[in-house]
Formats: sequence, structure tokens, C-alpha cells
Amino acid sequence: MVTTETWVFLVYRMPRQPSTPRISVWRRLKRLGVAQLGDGLVALPYDAATKEQLEWVAHAVAEAGGEATIWITTPTVRRFGRNLAAGLAGERAAEYREVIRRTEDALASGAGEPHRLMRTLRAMQRRIERRDHFPPPERVEARSAIDRLAIRFPDKITA
Amino acid sequence: MRWATRAGVHVDRAASAWLIRRFVDPVAEFVFVDDPEDVPADATAFDMIGVDLTHHGDRVTFETILDRHHLDDPVLIRLGHIIHEADLADDLYDAPEAAGLDAVVRALSLTETDPEVLAVTGRLFDALYAWLDRRQVP
Repeated sequence: MVTTETWVFLVYRMPRQPSTPRISVWRRLKRLGVAQLGDGLVALPYDAATKEQLEWVAHAVAEAGGEATIWITTPTVRRFGRNLAAGLAGERAAEYREVIRRTEDALASGAGEPHRLMRTLRAMQRRIERRDHFPPPERVEARSAIDRLAIRFPDKITA
Repeated sequence: MRWATRAGVHVDRAASAWLIRRFVDPVAEFVFVDDPEDVPADATAFDMIGVDLTHHGDRVTFETILDRHHLDDPVLIRLGHIIHEADLADDLYDAPEAAGLDAVVRALSLTETDPEVLAVTGRLFDALYAWLDRRQVP
């Protein structure tokens, strides 16, 4: 269970060239849903799993000739942690809203292939949930929107 | 032989321990440590930073062990893809089993000690191996 009181920081530096490992590290961090605090400084709420995820990224950084260290930290003022969490929740909320928007478009028009779209949206939803550390209300809303789509087009939802 | 890994085992370490005992060292004994500096001198460490048997590039530890010990059984390769996705969920492979496996091992690691997790998941991976073998999934 994560809280806003303890965070794990990854401090890293990588050579500018080659750019492929830099991009690959950046993609991995994005997939983990990190908060970007500065150039080469990202944070996740601490638990055993998030610490391990950043450790593997640090390992990849080192393998690519860069430097990386991991820190478990506590803000001096609790509000700092809450603000960081609110920022992350806001980023995820925007992603869920995109799922909701696409779902509602399909519900309204019924055009195209709703069953295929539903599978795409479910996969999108799963990927967002994986990097969602402080679930905003939009998470449940997005799930129910996709469920409505599934109920609305039942005969078409066959693999 | 003694083998060491980080305490609080999850899917990649549990599967790697199974792989070691089943295909590399039938009398393997496992030690769990918190800090890489605590690895006993006579033990081979895996799934830890700074050792050979760990993540490399896109590979998780299970896949590294397959490579280092020249295990090219297609069933193990397929199992490796499932472990990879259960551990990293980076969509490099299509392995729908991964999410369920991740949940099961994560749940076990909450309620059981590390040796118990290895005991239970050992039987689980034996069964998964047999199931994949029977399905002859490429």
C-alpha cells in the first residue's frame, strides 16, 4: 500500500549518445507512471514493488554507461508529498478521460467496429491502471463506460 | 550448491529458483538476503544488481538463466515470455497468462515466507510447464 509520505527517488544521468538507450529508459519510466521532478530525477510512491521497478531502471541506466542511484525519502513537509500525489492523479485522470471520451463517442455513434474498439479500450485501461498509484474517480468512470459499451453491443463482442 | 537472491521474492525470482532446481542444480539450496553485500561467499547470486544472472537489456532473470545454461526447450522459452510479462508488463510478448500469474505470486508473497513461496510456486511452475507442454504452444 503506497502513501504520500514515503517516496523512492531515482537520480540518473546517461550519455547523450547513443540516444536509443536514453529513449528506452524514458519509455520505461513513463510506463511506470513516475513523477518527473527535474532533469534526471523521477519519483514513485514507495513500496517494495515500485522500489524494485526503479532498481531495474537504474540497472539499465548503468548497463548503458550511465550513473544511477536510488533513494527512499520523506518530504520535510507532508504537503509536498500530497501535491506530488495530486499531480500524478491528475495525469492519470486525463488519460482515463481520453478512454471515456472514446467510449462515449462509440456509444453515441455505434459506428465502426465497437467490439474491436472495446478490446482496445480495455487494454488502454489496463495499462493506465498499472501506472496509476493514486486512483482518481475517473478510473471507475472509465471502467463503467467500457462496461456500458460491452452491454450495448453484446452480439458483436466475440473474439 | 547454494544460491542467493533478494528477500521478498516475486515472480521472476520464484520462477528462476524453480528453473535452477529443476534444470540446473537439483540439490540447490536458496538463501535470501536484503543487501547484495550479504551474499555468502560460496553462493551464486541471481536477480540482483551487480551479478551475471540478472536482468540484461530486455531480458528478465529467468530469460538470462535460460541463455547462460543453454536451455532452449521451447516450453521453457514460452514460460520465459510469461514470466517476462508478469514481471515487467512491457508488452514485448503477448502473454495473457501473465497478469493472473503476477496476482497469484504477489498474493502468496504477502501471506507466506520466502521458502514457502518457493515451495508453493515450485508446484505451480511444474504444473504450468506440463500444461504449456501439453498445449504445445510455440
